[in-house]
This record gives sequence, C-alpha cells and structure tokens, in this order.
Amino acid sequence: MMGQRRRAGPKGSLSNRTPDGIAVGIQGSPKHSICMVSDFFYPNMGGVESHIYQLSQCLIERGHKVIIVTHAYGNRKGVRYLTNGLKVYYLPLQVMYNQSTVTTCFHSLPLLRCVFVRERITIVHAHSSFSAMGHDSLFHAKTMGLNTVFTDHSLFGFADVSSVLTNKLLTVSLCDTSHIICVSYTSKENTVLRATLDPQIVSVIPNAVDPTDFTPDPSQRDDTKITIVVVSRLVYRKGIDLLGGIIPELCLKYPDLQFVIGGEGPKRIVLEEVREKYQLHDRVRLLGALEHKDVRNVLIQGHIFLNTSLTEAFCMAIVEGASCGLQVVSTRVGGIPEVLPEELITLCEPTVSSLCQGLEMVIARQRSGTVLPPATIHSRVQTLYTWRNVAERTEKVYDRVAKEVVLPLDGRLGRLRAHCGHVAGSIFAFVAVLDFLFLLLLQWFVPDSVIDVAVNASGPRGLWGKAGARKTKPSANCHKDTGTG
Amino acid sequence: MFRRDWTGRNPVSKCIIGSLVMGADSDPGAPSAVPWRKVLYERQPFPDNYVDRRFLEELRRNVGVRRYRYWPVVREAGLVTQQLSCVAAFLTLWWYMYQGQLYPFTLLLAGLLCALLGYGLYEALGGPRTEGRTRLADLQSAAIFLAFTFGFSPVLKTLTESVSTDTVYAMSALMLLAHLVTFPYAQPSPPGSLSLNAALFGSVCLASRLPGALHTFAMVTCALLVFALWPCLLHRLRDRAPRGFPWAAALVSLGGIGGLASQSPGGAVLLALAQLALTLLCPLLLLWLQEHKDNIHGPWDEAEIHEDLSRFLQ
Amino acid sequence: MVLKIFFPRCCNMADSGLLIGHWLPGQDSAVVLAVVHYPFIPGQVKRYLSQLQNESRVELAVLGSWSMPKEGQEGMESFLRDLSTIFPRGRWLQLSREMGKRGFTCQVVHRDGELPRGEGENCKGDNGDGGGVIFIHYDQRKSQPLFLTDKYDDGPLKLTHWQSEGREASIIVELAKQASVPLCLLLTWLLSLWTWLCSSRLLNLPPVRLVSSKLSTCVQLSYRTEHLQTVSSPKRALGHAEFMRKANIFVSFFVDVALGLLLISWLYRENRISRLANTLVPVADRVAKELQELLQWLMGAPAGFKMNRALDEVLGRFFLYHIHLWISYIHLMSPFIESLLWYMGLCACLGLTFALSVLSDIVALLTFHIYCFYVYGARLYCLKIYGLSSLWRLFRGKKWNVLRQRVDSCSYDLDQLFIGTLLFTILLFLLPTTALYYLVFTLLRLVVVLFQGLIHLSVDFINSFPLFAMGLRLCRPYRLAEGVKFRVLCEEPGKPLHLLMEINPLQYGSVLQWYRTPTYNCYPKDSWAALCKKLFVGELVYPWRQKGTKTD
Repeated sequence: MMGQRRRAGPKGSLSNRTPDGIAVGIQGSPKHSICMVSDFFYPNMGGVESHIYQLSQCLIERGHKVIIVTHAYGNRKGVRYLTNGLKVYYLPLQVMYNQSTVTTCFHSLPLLRCVFVRERITIVHAHSSFSAMGHDSLFHAKTMGLNTVFTDHSLFGFADVSSVLTNKLLTVSLCDTSHIICVSYTSKENTVLRATLDPQIVSVIPNAVDPTDFTPDPSQRDDTKITIVVVSRLVYRKGIDLLGGIIPELCLKYPDLQFVIGGEGPKRIVLEEVREKYQLHDRVRLLGALEHKDVRNVLIQGHIFLNTSLTEAFCMAIVEGASCGLQVVSTRVGGIPEVLPEELITLCEPTVSSLCQGLEMVIARQRSGTVLPPATIHSRVQTLYTWRNVAERTEKVYDRVAKEVVLPLDGRLGRLRAHCGHVAGSIFAFVAVLDFLFLLLLQWFVPDSVIDVAVNASGPRGLWGKAGARKTKPSANCHKDTGTG
Repeated sequence: MFRRDWTGRNPVSKCIIGSLVMGADSDPGAPSAVPWRKVLYERQPFPDNYVDRRFLEELRRNVGVRRYRYWPVVREAGLVTQQLSCVAAFLTLWWYMYQGQLYPFTLLLAGLLCALLGYGLYEALGGPRTEGRTRLADLQSAAIFLAFTFGFSPVLKTLTESVSTDTVYAMSALMLLAHLVTFPYAQPSPPGSLSLNAALFGSVCLASRLPGALHTFAMVTCALLVFALWPCLLHRLRDRAPRGFPWAAALVSLGGIGGLASQSPGGAVLLALAQLALTLLCPLLLLWLQEHKDNIHGPWDEAEIHEDLSRFLQ
Repeated sequence: MVLKIFFPRCCNMADSGLLIGHWLPGQDSAVVLAVVHYPFIPGQVKRYLSQLQNESRVELAVLGSWSMPKEGQEGMESFLRDLSTIFPRGRWLQLSREMGKRGFTCQVVHRDGELPRGEGENCKGDNGDGGGVIFIHYDQRKSQPLFLTDKYDDGPLKLTHWQSEGREASIIVELAKQASVPLCLLLTWLLSLWTWLCSSRLLNLPPVRLVSSKLSTCVQLSYRTEHLQTVSSPKRALGHAEFMRKANIFVSFFVDVALGLLLISWLYRENRISRLANTLVPVADRVAKELQELLQWLMGAPAGFKMNRALDEVLGRFFLYHIHLWISYIHLMSPFIESLLWYMGLCACLGLTFALSVLSDIVALLTFHIYCFYVYGARLYCLKIYGLSSLWRLFRGKKWNVLRQRVDSCSYDLDQLFIGTLLFTILLFLLPTTALYYLVFTLLRLVVVLFQGLIHLSVDFINSFPLFAMGLRLCRPYRLAEGVKFRVLCEEPGKPLHLLMEINPLQYGSVLQWYRTPTYNCYPKDSWAALCKKLFVGELVYPWRQKGTKTD
C-alpha cells in the first residue's frame, strides 16, 4: 500500500516539462526527487561530504530535485539552502561516535517520514557504510515503499570480530536495497562479498575531481630541490608509520630532498618525533590541517606526490596530485591500481623499502628530465573523472531503479529470512514488521495528506532562480515596522 | 528483475557462479570484442554493473594460516596447567597455616631454601641479564620486599578485620581467577602487571585472615615466591632448557594435585580432571576448529606493516 | 506600490479640516499627526507649521484634507479639494468619511496631473506601480514634543491630536530634576572620598583583602558603592538601556533602605537584641554538643558499617579535640556577643541587603568548626582517591603520561609492583572509613552552604530585581514595546484596507531578563553535575560566593 501512495503522489506531479533556465541533459528522460542521506556532510570535511555535494549539484544541473538529509552539527540545525537551491535538512539526532548517529531502527522514522513526504521523494540514496543514519533511512524508505540506492565509499576486512558484525549488518541493510554503487571494482568485489550481494545490482561509478580546482603551476616549484608532497589525514590507515620510515631513509641519501606534509591527526606525533630525532626541521614541513581551497597551493609546490595508504577504495588524493602535474608514487592497495594509467603513477608495495625504491626511481627520472611535463599530465587527467560524468552514470542507475517495483512487506520478510541467515534474518524481519506498524501508527496520527508539501527549490518546478529574481524587489514595509522592540 | 536469492553457506562461490551465468542476461552491449579491463580511467563499452569473468579472481583464502600439531600444543598448554597448580598449592599452604598445622617459621625457612635454590638455578641457566641489573640490585629488591612486608604486616593483619569472611573469600577467589585469566601465557615475558597484582591482592586478603602478624608476613612472602619469582624461573627454563620445561611443569602440576589431595581428595580429583582437560582435550579442540577456518583475503584488505618501524625512532 | 497611511485613532471622529504630518522618505508612506479643523486661515496654518518645525526639527507638512460630513457643511468637499492648490505638494491626500460607514475613502491627487487612486480600486494592485492604499490606524502617544505649545487649545488653530494630562505633575518632575543636580554632585564627592578611603594602602594588604573578599558584607558594600556611583553621575543617561538601569538601581536602592529601616525599627524595640544574643550562645553550644555525639556515634559502628577500628579511633579523637577547642572559644566570646550584635544591627539602616549579608557572615563565623572538619575530611579523602586512582593504574600496568595527557602502558619492576599493590590494598580497605567521615561532614557543610546560599540569593534578588521596569510595564505597558501587531479593521471590496496597529508590550519574563541589573557576574557557576563530581573527588566546595545552591 505504501507503493501505491508513492505512485499516486509524485509521479503525477512530475510532468516532463522542461524547467526554464536549467540545462537539461536528455530531453524527456524522467526527473527524480532524490534524497541523499548521510551522517557525513558539511561542515564536516572529507571525501564523502564533497562527493555528496558535487553529485547533488550536478544532478540539480541535470534537472532533478535533490535534497540532502544529515544530522545537526552543533549550532547548525534545521533547513539550510546551499548553492542552486540545494536544500539540506540538519535533523536533531543524537551523535554517538565519530559523527555517526545512534541507531535504534525506529526513532528516526517520524522525522525521516516527514521529510520524505514533504519533499515527495521518489528515490532515497544513502552514502557511506559508516553512517548509521544512512542505513536507517534505507530501512525506513523500504518500509515506506520508496526506491533505494546506496553508495559504499570504503573497504572493510573480514578478519576480526567487529568486521564480522558490521558485515552482517551491511548484509541486512543491503539485501533488499534496489541498487548499490561502489567507487571502484575492488570496492565492488569487497561490497559484494561483505553483503552477499548479486554482483549484477552493484554498479561501479568512480569518484571525480574538479579539474579546474587543480591546475598545475610549475613556477611555484623550487627547482633547486626536489619536493615530495603528502596530503592526507595523519592516521594509521593512511600509512603514516611508513612515511615515518621513508623520511629519514631518503633524507639521509638525498641532501636536496624536502617533504611538505599537509594534514592533521593522531599520527602527527610520529612525524614530529622523526623530524626531531634526525634534525630535519628545515626539510620536513608539517602544515597541519588544510582547508580544501589551500590543497592546490600546497600541491603545486611539489615535484612528487606520495601516497602511503594501507587501504583505499578510490584515492581522490592521487588524482588531485596528478591533476596538479605531479609525479605520483603510491602503494598498491585497494582500488588504487585502477585509478590512474601506468605512465602517470608508480605503484609500490606497502613497505618502506619498496616505497623508497619507487621514490628513488622517480627522483632519478626527475633529475634526468625524462618525466612528462606537468601540463601534459594535467591534460591527460582532467578528462578522466568529472562530476558530470558521475552524475550521468548515477542518473542511469536512478532511471533503472525507478522502473523497479519495491518489494512489498511479505517479499521483504522472505528476502531477509532467506538472505541474512535464520537468526539475524528473523530478528530483522521482526524489526521490519515493527517499523511497518510504527509507520501505520504515524500515518494514523498524521496522515500523509495533512503534511504540507514543501516548496521545490531544485528540480523540474524548482523556484530557486525565480525566487532570487523576486527577492530583488523591495519587500513590504510592514516587515520593517514590526522589527521594533 | 533477474535477481537471485542465494541460499547456501558460502557466499563467494555463489557469486562467482552467478557472475558466470549473469554475463548473458546483463544489459545491452555486454559481450564485446574488447576485453574488459579492471581499470576506471578508461571508458569501456560495458554497463556500469557489468560483471566480468575475472570478477573476484584475486580472491584468496586462508593466507598465512599456521597449522598446529598436537604435541607442541600440549606442551604449551602445560604452562596453563602448572599455573593452575601453583594457585592450588598456594591455597593448600594457606589452609595449613589457617588450621595452625604449619608454623610461619617453617614456611619462612622453606621459602628461603626454595628461593636460594631457585636463584642458583636461575643463575646456572645463564641467559641474558637485564641491563643494569646486578646481583646487588637483586639483593636490594629482596631486602625491600622483606622490609616492606614485615613493616606492613601488623597493618595488613588488622586490615580486613571488619570485613566479613565471606567477602574476603569471594574477593580472593575473584582475584586469583583474574590472575589465571590475565596471566601472559603467550608472551615470552615474566608475569604481567595485572596478573601479578591481582594475585598479590588476593593473597594479601587471604593472609590478613591468619591469626598472627608473623603468619601474614610468611604468607605474603610465600605469595611473592609463587606468583612473582617462580614464573620468572619457569620462563628462563623454557628459554634455555626446553627439554626440562615439560618435566618442571608436570612436576608442579602433580605437586599441586598431591598437596590438595592431602587436605581434600575430592578437590584434588576435580583439579586433576581440569588439568587433563586443559592439557589433552583443549588442544584437540583447537586442531578440530582449525579445520573449519575460512578467511577471505583480497586486494581490499588493509595492508599490514610487517617491518619494525620503531627502529627509526631509537 | 501600495501607499500606506498611518492615521491616529484619536482623529477618527475629528471635524473636517487639514491633515498635518510628514512623508516617510524612501518609503511610500505618510504619517498623519493631527487634524486642523475647518475654520482656519491658510497663512496661519503655514506660519504655525514653520514654527513647529523650528522647535521640533521634524519635517512637517500639510498632507491633505480630511472631511467628516456633518449637517450644514455640504459644500465642504469641493472646498477641501481646492485647498490642494494653496498647499503645494507632490501628492495631496483626500480622505473622507461617510456617515454610517466604518472605513473611509481616499483619493490621491498628483500635482503633475490629476490621477485619482484608491477609489473603487482594489487595494492589492498587481501591476507593479499602481497599487492601492492601506490605512494603518495607530494609537498616538507623546513620542515627539510636537504639539507642546498647544496644550490647552488656546492657539489660533483648533487641532485634534492626542493630549497628555497632568501638567502639574510634570512641573514637580522638572523641579526635582533641577534639584537633583547639586545633590548628585554632593553624593559623587562623598563617594569619591569613600572609594579613596577604601583604596588606601592599609586596606589593600593581602590578608585584609582576602578576608574582605570573603565576607559578604564587604562585597555588598563595594557593590552598593558601585551602584551609587552609577546613579549619582551627573551625566545624562544616553540611551534607553542606561536610563532604565539607573532608574532600576535608584528604585531598588530606595526600597532596600526602606526595608532596612523597617527591620531596625522592629529589632531595636522591646530589648530584642539582648534576647537574641542570649539565645545565640546556647544554640552554638548545642550544635557543638550534637557534633560531639555524632562523632561518638561515628567512632562506634555507625549504621552497621564496620570500619577500620584503628583509623576510626584516630580520626574520631582528632575531631573531638577540635570541638573541645571550639567550645572554649565560644565561651570566651560570649560576654561580647550582645554589644557586637547591637552595633552590627545598625548597618541595617544601609539597607535590608546589608542586614542579610551580616547574618550570612555571622553564620559563617559560627559554623567555622564545621568548615574545618569538612576541609580535613575532604583533604584526606581527596588524597586517598588520588592515591587509589594512580595505584589502580599501576595495578593494571598503566601509567599517566603527563606530556601527552593520556594513559600509557608501562612495564614496572617487580618491587614497584609489589609495593604498589600492597599500598593499594591498604588504601582500598581504609577508604570506607575516610569516606564515611567525609560524607557526614560534607552533608553538614552543605546544610550551612544551602542556608548561606538562600541568603545570598535573596540579597541578589533585591539587588538585581528591575523594580522600575516592572512598574513601568504594569502602568504604562506601551513604553516597553516588543513589537507591533496588525489587525484587520475592515476590508470591503472597493474600499482601502484598514489595519489597526497595536503595540505588543514586552512579556514580564523578558522585562525581567532585559532590565535585570547584572550582579556577581564574576563567579563561576557550577552545574549540578560538576558539583557532584567535585564532591565525589573530594575537591573543596567553596562557600563564599560561588555555590552550587545558587541556580539562577
């Protein structure tokens, strides 16, 4: 019955008239109302956050209606509008750990239902497997009969107890999700194994980099020296311990070598200790946390970009480095070998000796001048990953998903039982039934028809551009008068 | 849709089979003249959800799993058994003292004898000395132990006066159990702090119930011998004379059982059974479980750092 | 664009005549201030306006005409229309009422060509420029000294506007204003003398400073001085906030002194002081006795707790000796208490707050032994807790890394472990005894602190309560406006929209919040959780100014 509501509601209102003033990709292709859900969004900074933002912007450009739902960040709560009428809901949910919210499977339903109904959402797109809110929203969306898409941004092992548990939860969450997007083929293999999925419903759509943000500028380099740039969070997973071994090894060997390291994290102390011990204060610069706009200014100072990650689904940093015309040296882990063509990257094993070898090779090439010029590298990289391309491919996923029928409750229960093992399957089937009953209760308290429909800022009938034009007129004076007191 | 529900135990094989079958009914443009490559930087004529034959080909299982053999495991389990016996022996001694069948002086004398013997053996076995640790330092440590214990024994004696006996017993039992659980069986090191502290705490609790200050002193000294010094000696023995180690362990185990038997035969039988299970059955269980190990590895695994990177900081 | 006309309600029923007011520059709206009634000479009107303009510096003009149909004035309409040529202006408003109808109509005449608007036109015009007219009726108050000269309708022109009453009262106010200037100067001089005295070297010696900062009487004194300085400054209050602050302080000062005098008149009658003194000493004695009994009880097996006998004995004896000392001190003091009280009572004439502060100080001094016990207990307990927490880390094989502010693992030597565990065991088993003593004395201390806190709270209340603002809100609610609200008076098709603008007075809660005189802002406020944590860890809870009992 939920499915009927959906089809009766927004589908009718979504006529295929072209929105004025907005560029439309393919004429006549259906326009969706998409709700991106993740715990991670601005003002938090990171790969997932910028992915959601950029993808949403490109989807709006293609004429879809996009809203983002995340949890409140301190003082930032309620509804905010970003560029081009991208509406962001900061919901008042309790944060538990690492910006991820608490999940009880139920308590977020009233809020999320309200958002989904208000905004006439057709597709719910959750991001990041670490986001409890994302999984919650998938769960509720399926209960409400909405189509669901999930993007996995990270890799996970199988060895320890915690990963066994989280993989089970992922299995439960994804077993009836309509489609899954991974950022690399390795990530796809990983997700398929973790959540026991049919590989057919998993698409690979890489991340992208805005090439205009990362343009080379060789004049900023100091060519009397060779500069190695590292930009990453200083945590164990990024292989900062390896970096702590590489720095003394190479600095002793090459007196004209210097390191510039941007980023902050608990492993900073390792680098500081190394710098102290080998007295490399003038050759190893620790810049601390960088803002996104400063990253390019750091990158263009270097000749070589070094990435020492121990695991990585899709490494944006190396693409950014290459886009700035640097020689990229990286560990051969995760999806990294898929990202850049061989002539643009030197892959090493995740050991100090192998990385040193790779770096020495690149240094030798740099000295002999047999490396590609920065402009050439940039021109090769700039077409590889663009957000428009990502949006286009994501749109195809949406088109495909929109055609599918959302499993009714009985089918869903069967799927859960069959797919997630008897114990977990039964438990979560029970939870799903409870969720459904809770939804019925909420619908009885506040029927969908009573909930106000929000004004569309983006999408086919988006009012963003028009509202802007109207705002320039002076508003009624009465408002000014009421401001006394 | 053409989604299939899998009902098997092994997800991996299913997926591989699935991928082989799925090639036919996948979206348009599927089998093409160009072979598929696992790269993202090229636009390939395949849909985004294309599943190639080579999907999951880098999957590995049970990489670097150690295969155990029965008798070495039994040998290692001997360490657990003898520690259990040590606790039993200590409790037996305490019981003798509590009953007044053992005089503190006798215990002290026996302890001194054992300590001297053990120290001699320790020295005889040789091996690397801890840096800066001379015999004088050893003597100094021994003096501190004795002086502090002797000085504090009247205080210790009155310490648990107002606490009920049951509470004291429960606390001691808990602490000795904690000692057994947290004892560093695997690490090649003398007793870890938590296990030693728990044992000492438990034995101080027990010692405070004894009738006199000298009794308390003797008991705490004895605890020090059993829980602090004996593991050091045993560790040295395992290092330097691997052949002698099983015999020492067996001797201690039997000693513990024998001691307990003199006071409570039922307890001794239980202890013997527990020790048998620990040494002979548990290793069997481990080997049996080993057969069922199924670990998946692949390029998505977090790379491990095998080198010792701390050398750069020393 | 909609033309908005602000129209005073008092002119609703005025006779026909001219509208006087001004246009709001930049906004398409006019404010009508008064109506000049019909028999007038245009020259006189012009002169009158320019005279007003000179006095008030407000751009006044004739906005248009006002017609109120009455019997015998039928030709009025056309006459008023012709007036627009006499008073040249960009726009001429022609308002007219019809008998038996609620709203009135408006015609706008432009100088550069007749362009009637408003009549028969929908108010919500949708073609950008040609909007309608909205009437906003408002209550006229004495906001500008506009028509001061026209108090008694004795001018050559007859006007309708809001008129204030009570000229006599304003004369008194004027006189008071004149007289207050020398008074203020005198007060300022006295205060400067007083502050000079306070800042002398002798009073700034460290021990004196410390004691005076702890005694609430001294604190109240400095606080009152500061307030009086604010009030007596001969400068005019610049803004509304400053004026309200001064007024509030002034009024609460008076109320405080009045209450204080009331107290004195009660206290110094019927020999109440000596009776009070006679009861005070036995009470203090009694408290000491009770404490002694409490200690005896603690030294046994209190509430079934079995404590460490030896330690219990030692602690009990120590505290008993203290009480003994205290009792002898009280007895030494007893002959002087009455005269002391007599002199101290005098300070109530400075205000009730002073009397309360003195009471708080007396309580603090009389319960000094409780404070001492509390401090001993807390220190001992704190030491134990601290030692146990660090030994507990040793117990687990960890240590606190001071440089990195975190717990690191650490491998201890055998002898360190042994002695550490021994001490840990001893401290752990002695903890209940200490904790019980600490608990009992903390509870006693909290009772005293609670009492003092209540006194401080009431002093704070008297000091900071905005009496003047509250009175203003009660009697003249429109003076404290939060905003305005509009109500539709009448909305008929073909007639301009009539709105009533009403002033929204400030809520009482927000009056309190806005005009509350800030006091004691300097002390850190503990939350309940922080207080509980402090109590648990054994940190001292300070009694004087910052307190957990104050939860405003």
